[in-house]
Amino acid sequence: MIPEIVTAVALLIVFAWVKVATGHTSMIYLIAAHTAFCIPFAYLPIRARLETMDDSLEKAAADLYASRWQVFRRITLPLMMPGIIAGLMLAFVISMDDVVITEFVKSAGQDTLPTYMLGQLRRVVTPEVNAISTVVVAAGALLVSIFFWVSRNRR
Amino acid sequence: MKTLIATASAVALIAGAASAKELQIYNWGNYTNPKLIEKFEKETGIDVTITDYDSNSTALAKVQAGGHGFDIVVPSNSWVQIYIEEDLLLESRPDQMENFKYMDPVWVDVDWDPGRHYTVPWQWGTTGVVVNTKYYDGDIDTSAIFLDPPEELVGKINVVPEMGDVMSLAIMYYGGEPCTDDKEILKKVHTGLMAAKDKWLGMDYGNLEKFAKEDLWAGVNWNGSTFRMRLQNPNIAYGYPKEGYIVWMDSVAVLKDAKNVEEAKEFQNFIMKPENAALISDFARYANGIQGSEEFMPEDMKTAREIIVPAELKSAGKFSPTCSPEVQKLYTRIWTDLQK
Repeated sequence: MIPEIVTAVALLIVFAWVKVATGHTSMIYLIAAHTAFCIPFAYLPIRARLETMDDSLEKAAADLYASRWQVFRRITLPLMMPGIIAGLMLAFVISMDDVVITEFVKSAGQDTLPTYMLGQLRRVVTPEVNAISTVVVAAGALLVSIFFWVSRNRR
Repeated sequence: MKTLIATASAVALIAGAASAKELQIYNWGNYTNPKLIEKFEKETGIDVTITDYDSNSTALAKVQAGGHGFDIVVPSNSWVQIYIEEDLLLESRPDQMENFKYMDPVWVDVDWDPGRHYTVPWQWGTTGVVVNTKYYDGDIDTSAIFLDPPEELVGKINVVPEMGDVMSLAIMYYGGEPCTDDKEILKKVHTGLMAAKDKWLGMDYGNLEKFAKEDLWAGVNWNGSTFRMRLQNPNIAYGYPKEGYIVWMDSVAVLKDAKNVEEAKEFQNFIMKPENAALISDFARYANGIQGSEEFMPEDMKTAREIIVPAELKSAGKFSPTCSPEVQKLYTRIWTDLQK
């Protein structure tokens, strides 16, 4: 793994160049950056799911004259669903957790909760920030538990 | 009827889009009074967005890279020169603006922006010591509070992890000048800080609650922040170390690549008006450098020891300077050792 700050500074420079060249400063850069570093985490549970999947069901469907699309839509996708949901939750937690990359990529008027809290740090940390931190920790724990529960039950 | 409404709203939309003036401010977190922004928006019709940063270095890095979309930034005095040298600021000439006449003359010819060609004062303050007088009633106007703490305060001290300020305080306590490269003094500073650290509880930001609830009894802190603590707990007092303390000022500057230049200039002019400057101070509790703004400030600020520097201690205040890279390197080494 490359240290996060290296990615962050690299993205800062590249995106700054694009922003100056195009004059476009919407959320798209944040979305692109987050997608890039979340993909490996989303991919892991999906791959695990695919590896253990029984392909006889797909073959049976094809035998019964289902088209490729129908097989994917009706058989493969539902079977992969637990993996996809687990990947989604994992990616969400990772994306939510990120401060460094977001701080460097965000443009004027854009903030995620963690970068907003970082901004408050130097002055006074208000009780609201403490309260929301508690909520976030609880929600995070809940999401990770659901992830484990979903991936274990369906195995 | 329906088409009429649709046409009317379409016209309104277009008109709205055409006249939508906006301003992007990049400022320290929890530092901007929402009432000030509301008043500005109401008076000028400009739509303001504020984005927070946590340190001068983050702000500079983003501005340097470009494409950030900000119009206004609020760097500390020792950083303004870097912005100017790097050609990042627009010469907006606040000295030719209508409300410039309100600026306190002592803040006009400052080292970092002589004659005020770029910046307008936002707030200024000092870095000194905070003590809860319930637990210690001796002299608090000394850096000994955190460098050679009295028995009563040991283990209850917090030092803000601000390298420049803490290093300067320690250097002045041991008889040097800020930015010194005198090895003798730096050696004393190093051993002094390392020995004192054992008597501290921590090095953290954002301790208002802990001081108010008396989990912490003393430390290094900013004056405005200490003022906010005292409002919650009257035992808390602010000390100006007689060996030397730090004075700083954050100033409002317009960026060279700003998109809304006129709006940004309007904002600079707006905050020089005493009643508006008073709103800035009303929120973060620091003085602002605009004459006549006291009139509009809350009663408790006019007499506060945190804001009004005692006359006999005025000369001990030193501006936080920009040290040379070599000196900075020496300080960073001591600081890294301290943070281990």
